[in-house]
Amino acid sequence: MTTADAKRVDTILKGREGASGELIEALQDIQDAFKYLPEEALRSVSEKMAVPLIEVFRVANYYKAFTLQPRGRHLLTVCMGTACHVRGAPRFLDEVLGQLDIKPGETTEDGDFTVETVNCLGACALGPVVVLDGKYHDHMTAGKLRALIQGTLSKKAKKTGDR
Amino acid sequence: MSEYVTLTINGAKVRAPRGTSVLDAALDYGICIPHLCHMQGVIPTGVCRLCIVEVIEKGRSKVTTSCTLEAEEGMVILAHTDKILKARKNIAEMLVAEAPNSRAIQDIALKCGVKDVRYPFRNKDCVLCGRCVRACTEIWRSRSLGFVGRGEQRHVALPFDERPEFCKRCNACIDLCPMTITPCDGPMKKGEEYFCGKCESQLSMSEDFVDSCVWCRLGEGFDVTGRHAGRKQEDKR
Ligand code: SF4
Ligand code: SF4
Ligand code: FES
Ligand code: FES
Repeated sequence: MTTADAKRVDTILKGREGASGELIEALQDIQDAFKYLPEEALRSVSEKMAVPLIEVFRVANYYKAFTLQPRGRHLLTVCMGTACHVRGAPRFLDEVLGQLDIKPGETTEDGDFTVETVNCLGACALGPVVVLDGKYHDHMTAGKLRALIQGTLSKKAKKTGDR
Repeated sequence: MSEYVTLTINGAKVRAPRGTSVLDAALDYGICIPHLCHMQGVIPTGVCRLCIVEVIEKGRSKVTTSCTLEAEEGMVILAHTDKILKARKNIAEMLVAEAPNSRAIQDIALKCGVKDVRYPFRNKDCVLCGRCVRACTEIWRSRSLGFVGRGEQRHVALPFDERPEFCKRCNACIDLCPMTITPCDGPMKKGEEYFCGKCESQLSMSEDFVDSCVWCRLGEGFDVTGRHAGRKQEDKR
């Protein structure tokens, strides 16, 4: 972690010294700031908030909202709930994972994509559903998904090309 | 209010300081109730279920774990009824299926009358008894390890999977773990598990660790054949 990062953590923890009851809030703020929970940040949390390190680690591991690994620039969430499942979600999930060469929960080497699965997004009528960076995409097919990923990647290529 | 309570366990009058668990009270009087996750002086969690007993209340019986049951004045406990012995045997059988590589568990199962294992072997390295975690937290006040993850993924871990500098290296987590001693013929590979049941002289850890109750001369609670005198008496009543 750089000194700037450490400072950011310090700001988040300011006023929370010894406030062990605010552990989850603090972790949420760190997750928001870094998009994941860096180990060193968790160590400072433990020290400053007076929560045993193992407890911080346990909480960080318990909730799906927290990740201990850095996430990619784009987060792709594929619904594996019953409705989406029967409509073929596993098939195109396999395909995407093959294409990106990762497993669910992992991030591509170039840091572009993180793929996660979820068990029902509550939008079953639109299934199969995937969520890319917070935006819902309904009635997914392997082809549509491939286009979506390609589209996201080429947008990035364009941006870097413009520079 | 009296500092002591008197209850009956298997028909015997037992006096115990208020706040004692039924299991501890029984053990103090030499009434052996099989147990695995319990450690004296450490907060009980009731996870292994071996220590189940029947509590008789107003003519009704309730089955519960004796390690988490606080002894109360006038309480009536039956620790080795047919019903309990049968259920306990089944629990022991499931424990062996879960972790056949623990000599302690193989021993307990043998003593509980298990003859063979009808459940598929899972051959886990940990039965989630939590002895290590509680010893580290409560006895050594170190909090170096804990349960991480949930559901199927729940496991014992160190923070960031490395030993923290504040670990006291007391080794309690290892010494108290039922998984650290394998059956006499060595660890079983996946697919080659079996119910050992060969030797009765399986002392395991009990000589060094009074609590671990693996080989017990009193043995009554382990016996499903009902050979023991105490049990016969109880049947007659
Ligand atoms: S050796 Fe370390 S981790 Fe194990 S019980 Fe002792 S303090 Fe805890
Ligand atoms: S590591 Fe051993 S003592 Fe700790 S929970 Fe697992 S089986 Fe029990
Ligand atoms: S199953 Fe996918 S949204 Fe419900
Ligand atoms: S000893 Fe009571 S449940 Fe394990």
